[in-house]
Order: sequence, then C-alpha cells, then structure tokens
Amino acid sequence: MSGLADTITGDFLVRLLTGMLVNLEIAGISLAAGLVLGLPLALARLGGGVAGAGAASLIALLRAAPTFVVMFFLLNAVPRDAAILGLDLSLSGIMVAALSLVPYSAAFVADSGLDAMRQLRRRSPLGALLFLPNVSRAFFVLVMSSSAAAAVGVSEAISVILRETERLPRFADRLVLFATGIVCFGLVLQTGFAAMRLLHRRLARSAASGRHRR
Amino acid sequence: MTGAESSRPDRRRGDIIVVSRLLLLALALLGSLLTTRARAQSERTPDAALEQILTEARARLPAACGRPGIDRLTRILCDKKIRIGARSYYPLFSTFEGETRQGYEIDIAGLIANRLGIDVEFVRVNAANRIAVLGEDNADMTIATMGHNSQRDGQARFIRPHYYLSETSIIGPKETPIHDWRDLAGRTICVTIGNGSNAQIVARGARVMLFDEAGALAERLRDQTCTLAAQDDSFFAYYFTDAAFAGRFSRQLGFAQVPWGMAVARTGSERLARVLDLISQIFHRDGVFLELARTNHIGTPFLEQQQLLWRQPQCNTERGNRDPACVLPALDTALEPTPFAANVDRLEDWIEARTGLSLSLPMLKTAPAWTLFVDGIVNSLILVAGALVATLGFALLIGAALGSHKAALHWPARLVTITMQSSPVVLTLVIAAAFAQALVPYSSTVALVAAIVALGLTNGCNAGQAISEALLTFDTEPQMNGTGDSHLFARAVGRSATQIVAFLVNATKGTPIASFIGAPELLNSLTDITSFSSGRATTYTLLLIFYVLLVMLVVGLCERLRVLLERRLASA
Repeated sequence: MSGLADTITGDFLVRLLTGMLVNLEIAGISLAAGLVLGLPLALARLGGGVAGAGAASLIALLRAAPTFVVMFFLLNAVPRDAAILGLDLSLSGIMVAALSLVPYSAAFVADSGLDAMRQLRRRSPLGALLFLPNVSRAFFVLVMSSSAAAAVGVSEAISVILRETERLPRFADRLVLFATGIVCFGLVLQTGFAAMRLLHRRLARSAASGRHRR
Repeated sequence: MTGAESSRPDRRRGDIIVVSRLLLLALALLGSLLTTRARAQSERTPDAALEQILTEARARLPAACGRPGIDRLTRILCDKKIRIGARSYYPLFSTFEGETRQGYEIDIAGLIANRLGIDVEFVRVNAANRIAVLGEDNADMTIATMGHNSQRDGQARFIRPHYYLSETSIIGPKETPIHDWRDLAGRTICVTIGNGSNAQIVARGARVMLFDEAGALAERLRDQTCTLAAQDDSFFAYYFTDAAFAGRFSRQLGFAQVPWGMAVARTGSERLARVLDLISQIFHRDGVFLELARTNHIGTPFLEQQQLLWRQPQCNTERGNRDPACVLPALDTALEPTPFAANVDRLEDWIEARTGLSLSLPMLKTAPAWTLFVDGIVNSLILVAGALVATLGFALLIGAALGSHKAALHWPARLVTITMQSSPVVLTLVIAAAFAQALVPYSSTVALVAAIVALGLTNGCNAGQAISEALLTFDTEPQMNGTGDSHLFARAVGRSATQIVAFLVNATKGTPIASFIGAPELLNSLTDITSFSSGRATTYTLLLIFYVLLVMLVVGLCERLRVLLERRLASA
C-alpha cells in the first residue's frame, strides 16, 4: 500500500490538476477553431444553393473523421519543419490534439449554429441563444475527448494517471488511481452539465415569459 | 598339424598388420603437423601484410599521383591526408565543440591517419548522408556510429573486424518491474522512426510511440512522457554519465546486437579497405580499441572479447579478417518482399510520373508489413462490428435497467451510466484492459475484446439513457396506459432511434482508440509498419481515408436501421 500512499501524498494530485488544465486548454483551442470553421459553414448551409450543398458535404465529412486517426494523421503527415512564408507551422503535441478535435467541434458548431440562425429567422432570439449552452456542452465533451492526447505524449490528466499506475505493482492500487481520474473528470463534466442545464432552463423560462408578455 | 600350430603364424601376421597400421597413422599425424606448421610459418602476420601493401603503394609515389583513375589509397598517400566522415554530435563517440573534436571514433580516426603517416580531415556527416558521402567522393572513409547490416552491405564496403558492437537497450525508471519480453507486452515504448529494432519490439506485442530524433527520447523519459524508451546502448551511454539520469533510470532489457563498422566506397577503395581491415585487426589484437573505449568511458565487454579472439593464432594472420570464425557477419535486416512488390514500385513510379505525387506504400512491399496491414484491416472490421453489437446490446440492457421500477436494477445501472459518462474513453479502455490483464494473460485478442467491451459500455450507457428517457415520456401519454412493458420498451427503442444511431456512429469513430491498449487494428498496424519503413505521410493519409469511408458506410447502414425502427414504431 506504501506505493499508493507515496503517490497520493506526493505531488500526484497537483500534477493531475495541472494535467486537467492541459485538457481544458486543448478543448478551448479546438472549440475556438471549431467556431471559426463551423459558423461560416452554418451560414453557407442557411444560404442554400451550391454553397449550402458543399457545406453540407463538408460537414458530413468532418463528422465522419475519427479524432484519433486525425491526430495521428496530423502528427505523421505534416512535416516537422513545415513553414509557410517563413512562418513556423510545426505543431506541438497540444496543438495536434486540439486540431484533431476540430472536425468534431466544427461539425457540432455548424449544426447548432444552423439551428440558432433558423431561430433568429423565426424571430426567436432566445431560441437562438440556446446556441450558447449547446456550445458549452460541446466544450465539456471536448474536455473528455482531449484525453486522447495521452497517446501522443501530451502530459494531460490521463497521462499523469497512467504514468503513476505503471509504477504501482498492485492491481487494487491502480484501480484507486483510475477512480481518482473518473472522479476528477466526472466533477468537471457533471458541474459543467449542471450549469448548462441551469442556463438552458433560465433561457427557456425567459422565452416563456416573453411569449406571455406578447 | 594341431590347431595350436596352425594359429601361430596367423597371430604373427595379425601383429604385423596392427604395427604397420600404427606406423602409417603416426606418419600421417606427423605429416599433418608438419604441414600445419609450414602453413602457419608461410601465413604472414597482419602487420607484415599491412607493411607490404603500404611499402608497395609508397614506392609508386610520386609518379602515380599524376595518373588518372588512381585508387583511393594512392590518392590519400599522394595528398598526405585522409578525409574521414564523422558525426558532429554523438556524445562519447564523436562530438565537435568549437574547434575540438573528441570521442571514441575521433580517436580511432586519428590513430588510423597516424598509422598511415598522413593527416586527417574530418567531414561532418549525419545518419542520413554517412554512406552517400562515400559514393559522392566527399569522404574517403566514414566512422559514424554505423551499424553493419545486410542492406548497407550493398551500399558501402564495411571494414572488418568491426570496431564496436551496440545493442538496443530498453531504458526505464529503476522501479519499473521489467524482467523479460512478457513484461513489455501491451506497454508503450518510445522509439525513433526507422530504427531497425522496432520490428522486433512490435513483434513482441509492445506498442511504439514514434519520435523523429533520438535526443527527444531522453528528454521524454525525464519529463515522464515516456515510461520506456528503446535506442542504441551507445546513445544512452552518454546520459548514464549524468548522475541524476543514472539515479532515476536503468537498462531494463537489451536485444538486437549490431556490429559497427567503418566504411569506404565500394569502387576504387579495394586496397584502402584492405589496409583498414588489417589496421582494425591489429588494433583489436593490441588492445588499442579497448584502451580508446576506456578513455572515452564507453562499454568494453565486446572489445575485451575481441582482443582475446584476435590474439588467437588462427585469427592473427593476414587472412584472419576474412575468416568467418574470426569476424562477425553483418546483421541480417533484409525483409522478405511481397510477390507483388515490383508491381507496387512500378505503380508508385507511374503515379509520380503522371501526377508528381511521391507516394510510398510500404505496407504492400514487404511480407511482414503486408501481413500486419491485412490483419489490421480484418481486426478493424471485427472491432467495428463488435463495438456496434456491444453498443446495441448494452444500450438495450442499460435502457431496460434504467427504465425499471426495481431499485436493484435501476440504481446500479444509473451508477454505471454516470461512471461511464464521467470517464474519458481512453481511461475506460485502459481500465478494461487492466481488468482483462488481471483475469487472463494479455494478448492482442484480449485487447480487442477489452476494447469492444469498453466502447460498447461507453456508448451503450448513453444510448441506454436515451431509451430510458423515452420510456419516461410515455408516463405523460394517457393513450399508453395499459400497454405491456415489452411493447412499451420496443416503442421507446423506436422513439430513441436517432440517439441510438448517433452513439453507434460514435462507437465506430472510437474504434481507432483501441490501438491505445494494443488492439491490433489498422492504426496500430500502420504505426508498427511505419516504425520500420518509410512513407509515413502516404500511410496516414490512406488510414484517414479508410476510416472516413468506414464511418460513412456505418452511418449509411445506421440510417437504414433508424428508418426501420421508426417505421416499426409507426406501425405499432
């Protein structure tokens, strides 16, 4: 048990929390990139025509791209010394992980954005505002998915847990560390989702009171 | 005549035959001894052979210097300098700091030049061009941490005996319990791309994490990105001179021994190669290599063993460096080509000629890569099919349990669902693999099954929750009162068809993550293939196309399933 005790009393928890910050960073970058890519796609779809059809095809393609494969594609197919006009384009592990999540976030933003724009067209700004909790929900899904970065050596929370468990000979001790990880991610996820539910409910209530006033 | 009288002459004749046979045998032995001694006397020492070649070569100077097409030995003697290719940064072996070059290989180069009575001019080389500089005549010889393998034999003439022998060492934290290959199955080992020993690591069931530069390995060990790293022991030798590194890490396993050789160009260097062969032989015998190794703090067991070998009379002759009993063979690294490898080469050339695209399809060219590739595709399809079935199965089970009014069913299902939703899929996979490993010996099949269960649980719980929520909606519909439980459940499945389909697609998209726990699917196979061959960009592009098409196919099939479920719902 001393192995586990040493781990827990050591700087494990600090490193775990630092690792979770990396998860949040990856999710933040991928969501920002998803917004940049997804909103124009949503606009194009709303416009219809050839651009709309093209955007729909691209969204379908983005939706079909598995995060893990995209991550390995970026890691191996993009040259380490890539540069355009002298600008260094070599990707760090965190950027590789973040960009691999962009297909998902862009497709999600495009779908949610399209719904929000349709709500606006129907003159329902509060309905359109539901875009915010939806995107926030996607952020927490991205936080969970960012753990895939462990496969390319990024020191995020799951990497920290896996490194520690490799040092522990006892299976039961390893389970304790696994459970710690689930609790940490669970707290972030469930808190985030609870906040989103609250926001969602408030927006719905505002929408209902608005209708009553009209 | 009695019987005794008749047997006496026979016995005498028999004695004479025995004695004469013994005499013949003794004569044969004596002849053999004399012949061996004569041959040993006629066999010159390497020193004498070397002296003769150099004397003859010098005798032709300076007249030979102006002649066209002179060989390299004559030329370096004419120029009074030898151009030696050496690495600029390979600690303990060859480093160039400011104007100072130092290391084991630098010292050897200096002593060779000294033995030839000429100066040395160093040419900076790296792992990529150390053979090319010979062919381009930018160096007369290279001594650049180069393993002698059968593939390189066709590109350069290696000097034998070899001046060093390295092995691939697996380095890890001291407390990591690695005793043999079985302890490495399923674990991730950081390696450099193209390292010849990667194929062996992969074949033993370990996963590889690829890095471009060897220098990154030590750094990644230090910052704990890598728990284990594999590289030449000569590379890690430098890091083990650092007390902090040596205090934390140790050599866990060694394998894939490869002899290191100096090399010269294959043409025009016959006599130079012969001279270097003889010098190497003498350096081994006289302990020169050994002494230089000690001075530079590198491993000496191989050199100690070689000194004993080259002191033996059988090897200490001018022909010793050609005697298979004395010299080491090149490491056989040639991979068996596929029957259609030539066609693949032609296809690559054809595409490049017409499109300018330089494709490389290593998975089709060698037998081990082809086997890995085919197995990877088959396993990926099994994994996708398994994940779909498991997701659907767990969705129905969890959906039924969550929708149940029995607390003994409802609450455990709710706990499992919340746990699964709170666990990142990578962690869920690792936990599933850990349980599998605790129950049965770990293998790629076990990893595949563990991945199917983990992906099925993760996505099935979410889909099951959707079913249970659909069940709840019936409470608010009076027309559903009195409907049987099984009928209600079927309608709930139909009503949540969109979510079920979404999680089935999600399960399919998640299958490549199974490579993280060593499931032998296509991503894992291609990573293994690219670890010992070229063509990474093409390989991973094809992989992306494969998975996007696969997911699109599943999306199409799932859409049909959704329509079917919704039609059933409408007709019910």
